[in-house]
Amino acid sequence: MPLQPDRVDYSPIIDRPPIKWPNGARVALWIAPNVEHYEYEPEYDGQRDPWPRMPYPDVQQYSYRDYGNRVGFWRMLEVLDKHNIRCCVSLNMAVLEHYPEIKDAMVERNWDFMSHGIYNTRYLNPMSEEQEREFYVDCIETLRRETGKQLKGMLGPAISGTERTPDLMAEAGLIYHTDWMHDDQPVPIKVKSGKLISVPYSIELNDAPLYRQHYEGDYFAEICKAQFDQLYKEGAESGRVMCIALHPFLTGQPHRVKYLDEVLGYIMSHEGVWQTTADDIADYYIANNYDAAVTHAGQLNK
Amino acid sequence: MPAERRPGMDHPHYQWSPIVNRGKLRWPDGARVALCVIVNLEHMEWTEPEGSFTTLLAGGMGSRGYPDFARTSHREYGHRVGIFRVLDTLEKHGIKATVAMDAMTAENYPYLVDHCLKRGCEIIGHGISVSRMITGNMTEQEERHYIHSSMDSLAKATGKAPTGWLGPEYGESSRTPQLLSEAGIRYVCDWVNDEQPYRLESPHGDLFALPIMLELDDVVSLWQRRVTVGRYRDMLTEAFDTLYEDGQQNGRLMTLNLHPWLIGQPFRIGYLDDALAHMTRREGVWAATGSEIVDWYQHNPPVA
Repeated sequence: MPLQPDRVDYSPIIDRPPIKWPNGARVALWIAPNVEHYEYEPEYDGQRDPWPRMPYPDVQQYSYRDYGNRVGFWRMLEVLDKHNIRCCVSLNMAVLEHYPEIKDAMVERNWDFMSHGIYNTRYLNPMSEEQEREFYVDCIETLRRETGKQLKGMLGPAISGTERTPDLMAEAGLIYHTDWMHDDQPVPIKVKSGKLISVPYSIELNDAPLYRQHYEGDYFAEICKAQFDQLYKEGAESGRVMCIALHPFLTGQPHRVKYLDEVLGYIMSHEGVWQTTADDIADYYIANNYDAAVTHAGQLNK
Repeated sequence: MPAERRPGMDHPHYQWSPIVNRGKLRWPDGARVALCVIVNLEHMEWTEPEGSFTTLLAGGMGSRGYPDFARTSHREYGHRVGIFRVLDTLEKHGIKATVAMDAMTAENYPYLVDHCLKRGCEIIGHGISVSRMITGNMTEQEERHYIHSSMDSLAKATGKAPTGWLGPEYGESSRTPQLLSEAGIRYVCDWVNDEQPYRLESPHGDLFALPIMLELDDVVSLWQRRVTVGRYRDMLTEAFDTLYEDGQQNGRLMTLNLHPWLIGQPFRIGYLDDALAHMTRREGVWAATGSEIVDWYQHNPPVA
């Protein structure tokens, strides 16, 4: 019996058809700001408590995150603009409705958007199949209505999901899922219908887990550069993906933003970097690499 | 059982032996330090198997509800990507890995089994999966069955029964060393209490402990204690320098326990490379597999 959940065929990175990114780039770099709204008085779903510190509301934690939308986002944006970064936002869709100035700033810059749920305080785990189906329709329609764009992918809200998530995403027409931390390249995910891939996101080069611990901006800069150096070296053979995940309430703090500047300055000074979005990586991979990867992995696992 | 107040250990597995009172352990060619690197290839199960015990396993976003795509796939990164970086780095410094492989990996990743064997790695037993620890909750029969099925899987996958063992998450019951010995194991890495191999008691044949330096386990330092990766590199080199110094008087063992999903991440691997370069450029360092070290120790015991 295959290992559960049997969504991915084993394929070692040293033995795959090589990936050639556009213009011979070695590394596809995507920057993922998590633009979020956490509800003031969320409904507890009986499984995961959004504000575990105290009875709701938790004004300290609520406003800490709200700082990201009021201040941090705008400070971070200046740095992203300085380096001409086109982001792929991990978006709580309701932000588009709550904060029109943030929406406009993102749309003006032609950023891409992947769903990160409706709110960061509403998780997928307790949803029924029907509820989850409706959830994808809501995400897709909200993005289309607010920005005119077609939704292509998702990072589960607060990285939550169900056993059915990949199947239901593909059924709704989404093409990529970024909850999988299993690779430095996109990977085909087996689904009942359609095509779905994982695009590498990062929970390591990610300000949220880092700054919840004792690490600070200097460490973030150090490991981002080390990550890039390694992937850049390996990307000469077969293209790699590097993602940096940001949260405006963390990276937009006055004591941290300069480290983002340092990292982007370093990476963007290299030739052979495809600064892109998860949407574009997914489209490119599905058009150029998906079939070969599936065939190759299928033969390996025969 | 509560300890009795008398000299010696409060269990029957080995004799009390302070390192300052031992004979001199001589490594091959008068080496000061024997360096052993254990690389874990372990499978974290998608759902927690019923009736099994496990600790909260490192990885992902910490404790999350089911299904935990982030944590299980973070661990899978080791099998798909990280292992090759780790083995390349070890090979660069002339180190043959001792791979602790669980049964689910052996059965489901034939590519990795072949790859490790081709590179000359020694493969040692590592239980069924990291989601199933050996604990004192098991009956003797359950534990015997667990050990045998782990070893049978490896024998089938590699063509050879393992002679070394590291339990998932260092788990043991009070019977484990004897049951391992009964099953044909010659050395065990669960006990993290020494800087030399030592003898374990067993009625079934020769059994040795090959102790790991727990604080230098990448999961303990980088994940549980959140040491920065630069500081971790320095811990490795500082530990080595002390052992190298002490090893002039009496041979020392440095056993590292590494996890490819963690140390094999792109931003971490260079720091391991630096640390191993620091160690292996010195004279008098013997990089060896677990069984090579235990064989030597058995045939060249410390001399008073």
